[in-house]
Amino acid sequence: MKMMNKVAAGVVTIGLALTGCAAGGGAPTTNDQGQTVIRFSWWGNDTRNRLTEEVIALFEEQNPDIDVQGEPGEWSGYWDRLATQMAAGDAPDVIQMDEKYIAEYGERGALLDLEAAGVDVSRFAPGTVDTGRLSSGLFGINAGINSPTVIANPAVFEAAGVAIPDDTTWTWDDLAQTAQAITEGSSDGAVGSQNYMMVEPIMRVWLRQQGQDEFNEDGVAFDAETLGQFFQQGLDLQQSGAFPSASVASEELTKPVDQTMGATNRLGLFYYWSNQVKAFDNASGQDLQILRPPSMNGDGDHELWYKASMLWSASGRTGNQEAVVKFINFLANDVDAGKILGVERGVPANLDVREAVRPDLQASDAKIVEYLESIESELGDPMTVTPVGGADIELGRWGTEVILERMTPQAAAEGLTTELTSKVQAGA
Amino acid sequence: MSAIGELAHGERQKDESRDNKAGYIFLTPWLIGLVVITIGPMLASLYLSFTSYPLLAGPTWTGLTNYIRMFNDPRLLNSLVVTFTYVVVGVPLQLILALAIAVLLNTGMKGLAFYRSVFYLPSLMGSSVAIALLWRQMFGTTGLVNQLLQSLVVENPPGWIADPSTALGTIILLHVWTFGSPMIIFLAGLRQIPTMYYEAASVDGASKWTQFRTITLPLLSPIVFFNLVLQIIGAFQAFTQAFIVSGGTGGPADSTMFFTLYLYQQGFTNFQMGYASAMAWLLVIIIGIFTAINFAVSKYWVFYDD
Repeated sequence: MKMMNKVAAGVVTIGLALTGCAAGGGAPTTNDQGQTVIRFSWWGNDTRNRLTEEVIALFEEQNPDIDVQGEPGEWSGYWDRLATQMAAGDAPDVIQMDEKYIAEYGERGALLDLEAAGVDVSRFAPGTVDTGRLSSGLFGINAGINSPTVIANPAVFEAAGVAIPDDTTWTWDDLAQTAQAITEGSSDGAVGSQNYMMVEPIMRVWLRQQGQDEFNEDGVAFDAETLGQFFQQGLDLQQSGAFPSASVASEELTKPVDQTMGATNRLGLFYYWSNQVKAFDNASGQDLQILRPPSMNGDGDHELWYKASMLWSASGRTGNQEAVVKFINFLANDVDAGKILGVERGVPANLDVREAVRPDLQASDAKIVEYLESIESELGDPMTVTPVGGADIELGRWGTEVILERMTPQAAAEGLTTELTSKVQAGA
Repeated sequence: MSAIGELAHGERQKDESRDNKAGYIFLTPWLIGLVVITIGPMLASLYLSFTSYPLLAGPTWTGLTNYIRMFNDPRLLNSLVVTFTYVVVGVPLQLILALAIAVLLNTGMKGLAFYRSVFYLPSLMGSSVAIALLWRQMFGTTGLVNQLLQSLVVENPPGWIADPSTALGTIILLHVWTFGSPMIIFLAGLRQIPTMYYEAASVDGASKWTQFRTITLPLLSPIVFFNLVLQIIGAFQAFTQAFIVSGGTGGPADSTMFFTLYLYQQGFTNFQMGYASAMAWLLVIIIGIFTAINFAVSKYWVFYDD
């Protein structure tokens, strides 16, 4: 029995040691050739993986004393893996970060203040640096600019005999009528519009046009009543036939992007970030048209904003700070790196890089740059970083309750608002 | 007892202890594994369940907060209902199917080895990601199942995995389909029943059904019990199928939000590893209670033919 007690005590010690070992780290890592080894983790797709490996090769050629080890991944699973690595004290040195999670990591001290560490953002376009700034420092460097877009599929419009509306003056009512006309005019089962009620950036556009926002410095920045109106609109458009049926829309939420209705030419209008247009051009085989989201009164007040499609961050526990800063500077500011990466991660925030990239752009890239530049003068207020807890908004879950008519739009809006508010308060 | 008898007894004890030593030595790799990768993390998680542990910062002691919070979490209650439904519907259906196929295979048909392998195959693949993905395609709005239904003139077949009232059903069906392992165990059990019982019964004029009810079932009851305990424990921990079929969301509308999936989301998506640990211990307790009930009730229906 005594023996057993000893064993038990030993086990507890091991267990506590395991949980306690998250702290520490910070020693430089080198390989047996004396190179500094930095690990670089990103999510993406085949195209991005290939381009990123090319950039790494160029960097290593110019910096023979640094060995960059790439850790590519998929968006789904990326955050689970990163959280686990962070908790285990095994975080990658350079991390592709998303605006949704930067506060989650940055506010908890897991990221490096890149401004203090010496990353250069002097050539960045106005307003593109602060997308990675929290109260305690600059934790992410803009890897490319994005904005919400409405994508129109000309083939679907043509088949339905509907003209693509003028996006500088169109209203939400125009969108609803256009979408309904497409559904009615299509003979092959194509539907007018994706259900935008469950698309977070579109929800945000709509809220901003109502004088509210998804988040501001104080946390959740909309009220349940306004969100309820938005949900009601979604339900109305589903019933009018402008949107797909409830079960189709709910299934779309879990599909890989290249299998969605938008990618398979079965939607007239759908809603994504501007840098994703290229992927849809490839998947659908169409020259898709980029439109501004509608405004309330057709007066061109779209309340759009520039978002960092993703950001470069570094682990706060990295032991290779010098190499990390060199690599992030290379990614963000080097013209040759920019030429390889193109606008696949969004339009470069560094103006020198953007100009250098421009002549070589392919058609889909060129129209993205053109769209982003055309809305520059109309932008609304810049967005604030998603607060801790705010990434977990679960618009899809509450939206599904609405479209399946298991909850009234108002009840679902109240449920979402209450849940999100308490998550953000718990995180603050 | 004579002295010689006692001597022999002592010898035997010595032998036994030597045998045991060898046994423990052979067990060591497993024992090390048990302590390091099972008991260690379990105790760590027990400690963490009393803390607030946001993964990126260290744990801070919060006492019973996590456990109290569980009682006020409607989504957790919902996930328990989903999991219970899965266990209570899925396990009996699976066992009945396994037993039925085992009885069929035991009739001495030709090519038994072939059929046994074929029926066992789903068990090998059923918990894999590939099969779960296939399932999602098959039961999609435009999937194979609906194409089949439409060719049979069903006008508007439902979107099986998109509709909260049928989504869980498709996952239960997937579970039932993987009846292979209990089937193999049933088959082995059926082989153990002496044929003379059946011969005597048919001489007395008992029908096949009566024979099944009065000979097969009672003599097989320990095997049924074994399968029941094992499958219930397994079903409570089901995760992969729900995770893949719902794309990690537990949707539509939380209808496939298994307890384990909710636990995973709390821990790895919401950074609440303390709460997730407490949930894991709740699951341990629930499985423990179910198993205890199983054993307590077993003495009324399990028949040991010693």
